[in-house]
Amino acid sequence: MIVTTKILVRLVAIVIAGVLLQLSFFSRIELFHVSPDVLPALVVVLGLLGGSMTGAITGFSIGLLVDCLLVEALGATSLVLLCTGYLAGLVRERLEVRGSLAPPLFCMGGTLFAALGFGIVQLLLGVDASISPLIIRELALQSVYAFFLGWPIYIGVRRVLRPALVEEPQVRRRRQPTVLGT
Amino acid sequence: MYRKQVRRRRAVLALLIISSFALLTLTYGQRSGGVQRTVSAAFAPLQTVADRALKPARDLVNWFDQTFDARGENKRLQAELETARAQAIAGKAAVGENADLRKLLKLDRTSVVAVSAYKAVTGRVISRSPTIWYATVGIDIGKGDGVRVDDPVMAGEGLVGRIAAVSGGSSQVTLLTDHKSAVTAKVVPQGVQGLIRPAVGDPEDLVLDFIDSSRKVGRGDAVVTAGWRAGDVSSLFPPNLPVGEVTEAPIVEQEASRQVHLRPYADLRNLDFVQVLTGGSRG
Repeated sequence: MIVTTKILVRLVAIVIAGVLLQLSFFSRIELFHVSPDVLPALVVVLGLLGGSMTGAITGFSIGLLVDCLLVEALGATSLVLLCTGYLAGLVRERLEVRGSLAPPLFCMGGTLFAALGFGIVQLLLGVDASISPLIIRELALQSVYAFFLGWPIYIGVRRVLRPALVEEPQVRRRRQPTVLGT
Repeated sequence: MYRKQVRRRRAVLALLIISSFALLTLTYGQRSGGVQRTVSAAFAPLQTVADRALKPARDLVNWFDQTFDARGENKRLQAELETARAQAIAGKAAVGENADLRKLLKLDRTSVVAVSAYKAVTGRVISRSPTIWYATVGIDIGKGDGVRVDDPVMAGEGLVGRIAAVSGGSSQVTLLTDHKSAVTAKVVPQGVQGLIRPAVGDPEDLVLDFIDSSRKVGRGDAVVTAGWRAGDVSSLFPPNLPVGEVTEAPIVEQEASRQVHLRPYADLRNLDFVQVLTGGSRG
């Protein structure tokens, strides 16, 4: 990804819009008693489009902003999301992944990875409460939601960052030359 | 050139990871820092706008979820209504009797005074934590409205949690279902006391721990805040704020204490407005 000032502004706008949408909309809707978490999916998409560094830096920034807005201990969400973004970027750099199902599947995997990672960080920090088995349902459903939301997020972010994308295939329909006099 | 690029990338990654650990070490277990409060205050107007603009879309999605739930809920509510009717009739008689006895014994109404000493300020929920590990909501009232850290927060039917952080025009509420939450409570009318802890991952289940196993607690019993005071130290919550009702009370023999499960009265999953009890002395 070629990061110019204009693209940097767009990246910041994506980060802020993503966090606001998550806190004000996605966290407050429920389907089958579970709210979708689009932030890991957004970080995965940024990693897939921009590479490991873009994924890691945006993941860190999103995590930091979320922790600031929720007034929680800083660093936990950043750590998990930066790893998620970095791994998504590595996949893009090391593997030739093509196909329309690839972004939603990576979003699904990234969300599951982030949820498990966040759970592990919290357990390491010490959770002084019982843990309900319903947490497994929560993780599974959040991953499924990420699969369905992954594709629209991918398309939206790709459209916003299109001028900066290096490997964006330029598919243009060529007009057939007009043959006169036949 | 390529090697240099790889080295730079690794350095950035290492820096980010070290920064995360450093931030975690510095801020874990601390009260909200100045940076968090400033960022939270700066984003509060944006969150309020986003909250209002997205409300119709949110209501539409939640309508589907609530419609699925409605059938099961209807049966439960009918059963609850029958129980409540019987309790209300018994309660009316008890209230009259109680007033007469209080007059006879010349008791002051300390519990009622404790709650009425608070001023309720209504706030709109503008954000919610995306992860189940943090059960917090952001509200659009803050210091300017008289809100202070640790003020109790109510919603319609019962206790919701307490204020965790306050900035100029917004506050963060730690819900009862947050793993850091702990509320001293008692089962009424038995009066057995315990500590309410959440079950992480299940917003409809709370655990009342350290219950005296010799006292009988049954399904449907109400649980209210205990509101204790010991010298200068007191509970963050005034006494007798409704919290929830007992849903499961397993009988454990040969143990001095036990735990019962309860369902909070307030719907902690769908909060739009809350009331912060400001002012008043605690306990």
